[in-house]
Amino acid sequence: MKKIQQTRGPLFYLRPGVNTRATSGLTRGPLFYMSLAVVLLLAFAVLVDGGRVAAQEAEPDAEAAGAPMHPAIPLLDAEGEHVLSEGAAVSTMTTCGACHDTAFIAGHSFHADVGLSGLGTPGSPDAGLPWDTSPGLFGKWNPLTYRYLSPAGDSRVDLTTPEWVQLFGARHVGGGPAIYSRDVLPLTETTQAADSPETQRVNPETGAPEPWDWQASGTVEMNCFLCHTGQPNNEARTAALQSGAFSWAATATLSGSGLVEGAKGDWRWNADAFDAQGNVAPSTLDIQDPSSANCGACHGVVEMVNEGPVALGDLHAAEAWTTRTTGQVYSGERLLNSALNLEDKASLSRPWDVHAERALNCSDCHYSLNNPIYFEGADANRPDHLLFDPRRLDLGDYLYRPLHEFAKGQSAQGTLAPELDNSLRRCESCHDVAASHQWLPYKERHTAALSCESCHAPALYAPAQESIDWTVLTVDGTAAESWRGSGSDGLITGYEPALLARENGDGGMALAPYNLIASWYWIYGEPARPAPLRDLRAAWLDGDAYAPEVLAAFDGNGDGRLGDEELRIDTGAKEALIAGRLEALGLDNPRISGSVQPYSINHSVATGEWATKECTECHGSASRVTRPMRLAGYVPGGVLPTLLGDDSTQLHGELQLRQDGTLYYQPQTNVEEESGLSPLYILGHNSVDIVDWAGLFIFVATVAGASAHAGMRYFAARRHPPKEKAVRQVYLFGVYERLWHWLQTLVIFGLLFTGLIIHKPDQFGIFAFRYVVQVHNVLAAILVANAALSAFYHLASGEIQQFLPRPRGFFDHAFAEAKYYLQGIFRGEPLPFKKTRRQKLNPLQQATYFVLLNVLLPLQALTGIFMWGAQRWPSLTASLGGLPFLAPLHTMVAWLLASFIVMHVYLTTTGRTPTTYTRAMITGWDEVEVVAQSGEAKGVS
Amino acid sequence: MKEFKYTWVFGLVATVLLVALPLVAFVEPDPAPADDAWSGVAPTPAPTDHSALLSGTFESGPQVTAACLNCHEEAGQEMLRSTHFTWESEPVLLPGRDETVTIGKKNQLNNFCIGIAGNWSKCTTCHAGYDWQDNEYDFSNAENVDCLACHADTGIYGKGEYGNPAEGVDLLAAAQSVGRPTRDNCGSCHFSGGGGNAVKHGDLDGSFTFPSAEVDVHMGRLDFQCVDCHRTEDHQIGGHMISVSATDENAIGCTDCHASAPHDNARLDAHVATVACESCHIPQGAVRDATKMAWDWSTAGQDLPEDTHTYLKIKGSFVYEENFVPTYAWFNGNADRYILGDTINPQETTLINRPLGAIDDPDARITPFKVHEAIQPYDAVYNYLLIPNTAGPGGFWTEFDWQRAFESNQENSGLAYSGEYGFAPTAMYWTMSHMVAPKERALQCNACHGEGTRLDWQALGYPGDPMEWGSRFQTIVGDAGE
Repeated sequence: MKKIQQTRGPLFYLRPGVNTRATSGLTRGPLFYMSLAVVLLLAFAVLVDGGRVAAQEAEPDAEAAGAPMHPAIPLLDAEGEHVLSEGAAVSTMTTCGACHDTAFIAGHSFHADVGLSGLGTPGSPDAGLPWDTSPGLFGKWNPLTYRYLSPAGDSRVDLTTPEWVQLFGARHVGGGPAIYSRDVLPLTETTQAADSPETQRVNPETGAPEPWDWQASGTVEMNCFLCHTGQPNNEARTAALQSGAFSWAATATLSGSGLVEGAKGDWRWNADAFDAQGNVAPSTLDIQDPSSANCGACHGVVEMVNEGPVALGDLHAAEAWTTRTTGQVYSGERLLNSALNLEDKASLSRPWDVHAERALNCSDCHYSLNNPIYFEGADANRPDHLLFDPRRLDLGDYLYRPLHEFAKGQSAQGTLAPELDNSLRRCESCHDVAASHQWLPYKERHTAALSCESCHAPALYAPAQESIDWTVLTVDGTAAESWRGSGSDGLITGYEPALLARENGDGGMALAPYNLIASWYWIYGEPARPAPLRDLRAAWLDGDAYAPEVLAAFDGNGDGRLGDEELRIDTGAKEALIAGRLEALGLDNPRISGSVQPYSINHSVATGEWATKECTECHGSASRVTRPMRLAGYVPGGVLPTLLGDDSTQLHGELQLRQDGTLYYQPQTNVEEESGLSPLYILGHNSVDIVDWAGLFIFVATVAGASAHAGMRYFAARRHPPKEKAVRQVYLFGVYERLWHWLQTLVIFGLLFTGLIIHKPDQFGIFAFRYVVQVHNVLAAILVANAALSAFYHLASGEIQQFLPRPRGFFDHAFAEAKYYLQGIFRGEPLPFKKTRRQKLNPLQQATYFVLLNVLLPLQALTGIFMWGAQRWPSLTASLGGLPFLAPLHTMVAWLLASFIVMHVYLTTTGRTPTTYTRAMITGWDEVEVVAQSGEAKGVS
Repeated sequence: MKEFKYTWVFGLVATVLLVALPLVAFVEPDPAPADDAWSGVAPTPAPTDHSALLSGTFESGPQVTAACLNCHEEAGQEMLRSTHFTWESEPVLLPGRDETVTIGKKNQLNNFCIGIAGNWSKCTTCHAGYDWQDNEYDFSNAENVDCLACHADTGIYGKGEYGNPAEGVDLLAAAQSVGRPTRDNCGSCHFSGGGGNAVKHGDLDGSFTFPSAEVDVHMGRLDFQCVDCHRTEDHQIGGHMISVSATDENAIGCTDCHASAPHDNARLDAHVATVACESCHIPQGAVRDATKMAWDWSTAGQDLPEDTHTYLKIKGSFVYEENFVPTYAWFNGNADRYILGDTINPQETTLINRPLGAIDDPDARITPFKVHEAIQPYDAVYNYLLIPNTAGPGGFWTEFDWQRAFESNQENSGLAYSGEYGFAPTAMYWTMSHMVAPKERALQCNACHGEGTRLDWQALGYPGDPMEWGSRFQTIVGDAGE
C-alpha cells in the first residue's frame, strides 16, 4: 500500500503528462482506454455535429449530465476480484481504480484527510482551543460534538481512533485517518500498544481500554459512492461504521438499490443486478457528478428540487451541520412554501438561497481544482502578455486524476487545508457590483467595508445554535442548549447574523455575517482537556436519572425534575458540587471554561429585493453594524467565554453581561490600528460627543449673545430714540457680488440642513438618507464652484483688497468698531467706520472674513472632499486620518459656520433699520450717514 | 431707484435656479416603476338602474330583447356579428388547405360532448340567443339575441333547453336587473363548459365566483371582472380560444397592461422572448376544482357504478385532475384545426386543434396548455370523426344505441354514416390564461432548469437545458432551430 501523499504544494502539479502517468503505481486496464475512447468520441461528436449526436446518444440534459457517460462497471473487492466471487465487501480503490487513479484521488483530498496530515501536539494549530491537535475534523475539538480525539500520551482517554471513525465517520468520506495511523502507516498494520489511542477503544460500560482489532474491522476506504451516486444509502453506511464493520461501509452505501442487501455481518450481493459480464448497469448504479444533495449528506440541509416543503429534521443530526451552526439552508424553495412555522410566512417569498433557485450546484463554485471547465490559474502564474492560457488539462487526464481538493473560501471553523483558502471564486468574481448597485451611493466605499454577504444574507431563517452548555447535563445525557430565531409565541422569526471583521482573499478587511455560538464546558488537568463525556455523565447521572445529590442541589422547586431554569450552574455551591464529583472521578482540578466561536455565513443569499438596502439600517443610532448579538441567557458559573477568532475572522467586540444575566456580544467599529481593520466611522451612526457638545455650546452661546445684544439695543432705543440721521444711498454691491452672496447663502443653509440630517438621521426620519447625501454633495459642489468663481472675480477685479485687513491703523479701527458695538450702538452714536464703494468692510469684518474664507470654508470644503474621496482615493483619505478624524472635524467646522451665520445675520440688523443691510445686499444700494462725508462716495456709476 | 425695485426677483430666480438645476441634474431618482399595469384597465362605467325603465309584462325572451333594442338600437346588429351569437368564425385559411373554412361550435366538433348538431336542446343552453332548435335557425333576427344571458342578474335569470329562458323565470325582474356583465354572467357558461363545473378549461371554474388570490391574482386579489380584460366594444368581446378560433386575432395578452420587460431583472426579462408569461405565472391548473383531463366515450352505455368524476353511463369514463401540471408546447397564437369530415388515422391520436409554433419560430413561445385526451367515435369506413345524436330525440343519452345515434344524426351533422363505427384517440389543447398565481407563487428558475423537470428540453427541440446549452437565439450548438 502506498503511503498517503502528504505534501500539498501549490496546485500546479496539475498537468499529468505522460511521465507522471507512467510513474503511477496502478496499471490501467482496457476499461480505462475504452471509457476514455467513449469520452473522446463523444467530445468529438459534440464538436463535429453541433451537439446533435451527443444529444441523441448521450442525452446530456441537466439532470442526466454525466450519468449515461459512465459505463457499466464490475464491482471488485479489495483483492481485485469480482464481489460475486467471494461475496466480499466492495472496494472503491480497486473498483473505481480500474479507470481512475484512486490513490491520487485519495491522496489529494482534504475531505479524506480531515486534518490527519496536519496533526500535531495539542495547541499546535494556529487557531482554536489549547487542546486542539489539528485544523480538521480529526483533531479539532468542537463543543457541539463535544467528544475529544485523545492524543497519544493522555492518561485519560476520551476518543480513540476507532471510536472516532465510529462516531465522526458519519461526516467523513473515508480514507485519511480511517485508513492511516497518525504516523501515516496503514492502520491494519499497526501493532497493538496498550497506551496507544489508535489500537484501543474505551469500553463504554467499564471505561477500561481494550484492544481494537483493525484486521477484523477493516478500514474505511474513501467512499466514492457516497458522493458519486444518486441515492447513496448514508444511513446504512453510518450504521456500518457505528457497528465497527468499517470495511463494509462502502458496500452499505450501495444497499437499498437492489445491488446488495443485508446488515452487519451478513451482506449479500444480488447476482441478478449484474449482467452476464458481471457489470452493473448505470440504471442500477447511477454514477454521476456529485449533486448538491450529495454534499448535503454532511454539510447541511440541501434541497435542489422544490418538491414538497423543506423540513429541517433533527438539527443535531450529522448531516445538518451547517444548518445547525448557522441556519443556512441551500434550497431554491421559497420560504413561504417551507414546512417551517415562520412568522409572517406568507410575506416571505424569497427563496432560502437565490443561487439554489438559479440552479447552481455546490460543485459549480466548490469545483475540483483541476477541473478544466472551471479552473484557471492565478494571474500571477501567467506571463503579462497572456490574458488566457488555452492549454488546458485534457478532459481524459482530468477524469483519470480528478483532484479532490475543492475550491473553498476561508470560513471560520473551516480551518482545514488553509493552503486552499480563497481558491473559490468570490461573489465579485461572477457578479459586477457596479452594474447592479446603481442606486447605492459610495459603492466602492461600501464594498470595501462590507462583504457582499453582509447585506445579501440579512437574516437566517432556519434555527441556528446560540449556545451549548456542557457544564450541566440533561437527564438523557446531553448538554443544555439554546437556539436562535424562535419567537416567544413559538413561531420561527429567523435571526440577524452578527457582522465581524473578515480578512478576504485580496487581503482587505471587510465586515461579514456570522453566527456566534457560545459554549461552556468542564475542563481539567494541566495542560487542559475537556472532561470526557463518560465522566460528565457519571458525575451527573445515576443510570437514567440524576444522581440524588445533584438533584437535591439543582431541583429548586422540588418537583423531582430539572427544568430549563434549574439546569444551570448559577451558584458557587452547585459549581463546587459538580467539580467535586468530577474530581472524585479522578479529574484533576475540574473547572468551567467557555468560548465563543464564529461560524461564517456565505449561503442563504438573497437577491437585492431582500437584501439590506435601507440606508438608515446602518446609518443610524441602532446601526446594523454594531447591533449586539445575544450569546446566552445566562453565564454558567459566571465564566465569561473566550472569543475565538482565527486568521481570517476577528472578534473585536466585547462581551456584555446585562442586568438580567444574559450575555451579549457587542461589536466595535473602532479598534486599534494593529488589528488590520481600518476603523469605521459610519455617518449617521458615529459621532464624537465632545465635538457635538462643544459645537452646540458655541452655537447656543452665539445665539444668546446676539439675543442679549439685541435686547439691550431695544431698551437703549426705547430710552434714547435714535435721531433721524441724514443718509444717502451708496451703490456698494455689484450684481455679481450679490448673486454670489445669495447663492452662497442658499447653499450653505442647504448644506447645514442636509448635513444635520446626515449626522443625526434618526431625528429626521422623513427625509430619505440616500437623497439627502446626494443633495449634500451637489450643494457642496456648487459651494466650491461658487467660491472659486468669486475668488477669481475678487482677484481679477481687485476687489480682493476689500477683504485684506490693512496693517495701518487696523487695531485702532478694530478697537473703535468693537467699542461701537459694545457701547456706541446703544447710545445712537454714529458708526466709526464709513462704508464706501472702495471699502465696504470694517476691520472687524475683514478679520472675521479673513478667518472664515481662509480657514473655515477651505477646511470644510477639504474635509468634505476627502470624506467624499473615501471611495475615490481611499488611501489618501486614510492617510489623512480617515473618516474617524475627518468627519468630527467637518462636524465641528459646521457648528462654527452655523454660529458665524447667526452672528452675521444678527449684525445685518444693526443698520438704520433692521432690514437696511439686507436690502443693501439685495439691491446693491446701501445707506450711508452723511455726517462725516468722505470723498470716495463719488465712485458710483 | 424705482425702476430697479423688482430686479431682485430676477436675482432670486437666478440663484434658486443655480441651485435647483444641478440638484435636478445630479441627484438620481429612484428608477421609475417598471410598468403601471393599471393604465391598461379601463375604468368601470357607472351602472344605470334599469328597474324604472322597464315595466309591463314580458311573455318571451325576444320581447325583452325588443324592449332592449328600443334604446340600444345598435346592440342588436352588433350582437348578430358577435361570435357569442354566431358560434362561427370568419373564414380562415388553415395550413395545408386550399379553401377557407369557418370554425365554431356551430359547425365543428370537439372532444368533450363532441358537437351540437342534433344536440341543440342541451348545447344551445349556453348560446347567447333564444330558441336554436335546428340548422334552420335565423341568425339574422336581432330579436333572437339573448341580452339577459350576459346582462341580467344570474340569481334572477337562467337559461333552459334551446337557449330559452328557464322555466319560471320572471323576465321583467330579469330585464330590470341588467347591468355590466359580471364574473357570474360569463361564468354561467364558461365555468361549466363541457357539461359541468370545471370540466373543460382547467383554468376557469366556479371558484371564480368568489376567487381568492391563490385562485387568480387578478380576479381574486384585485377583484377584476372578466370584462376588465375581455374588453368589449360594440359587443365584440375580446379574447380568443384555439378550440373555436384558429388565428390569434382578437387575442388578449398580458402585455396589454403589463410591460413586456416587467421583471426588474434582466435574466427574467430575457425569458419573455421565449417563454409565455403564463408558463411561469400559471404554475398549475384546476387549483380548487378538479378538471377533466381524459374522456373515454367507448365505455359509455354500460351499467357500471356511476360517479360524476369517474364514470357516467351516458358519457363514459373520465379522468379528473386537480392542481395539474400543464403541458408545455411552442405556440405562436395560431392553431391548426380538425375540420368536420377530415379523415383521421384511428391508430394515432388526432389533434383537434394543434397549436402552431416551433423552436425556430421567433413568434412562438413556450406556452402552458391543458391537454384533454379523449377516445371518441369515428366512422370506421369513412375514417372521420362522427357527431352522435346524444341529447336529441332518440339520442344516445336516452337509447344508449350508438348505431341509432349516428344514423339519426346524418342530416343534422352533414356526415354520412357508413354503418360501422369505432373509437379513436384525440387530443385538444386548451390555452391557460386564468388562474394566474400571485407573483410570489410563480415558478422559479429551478422548476425547469438544473434539476427541475417541468420542461422536457429535448421534446421542445433543445439539445439540453438552455441554461447550459444556450438559448434558441444563441448559436452555441449551431442553429438550434433547425
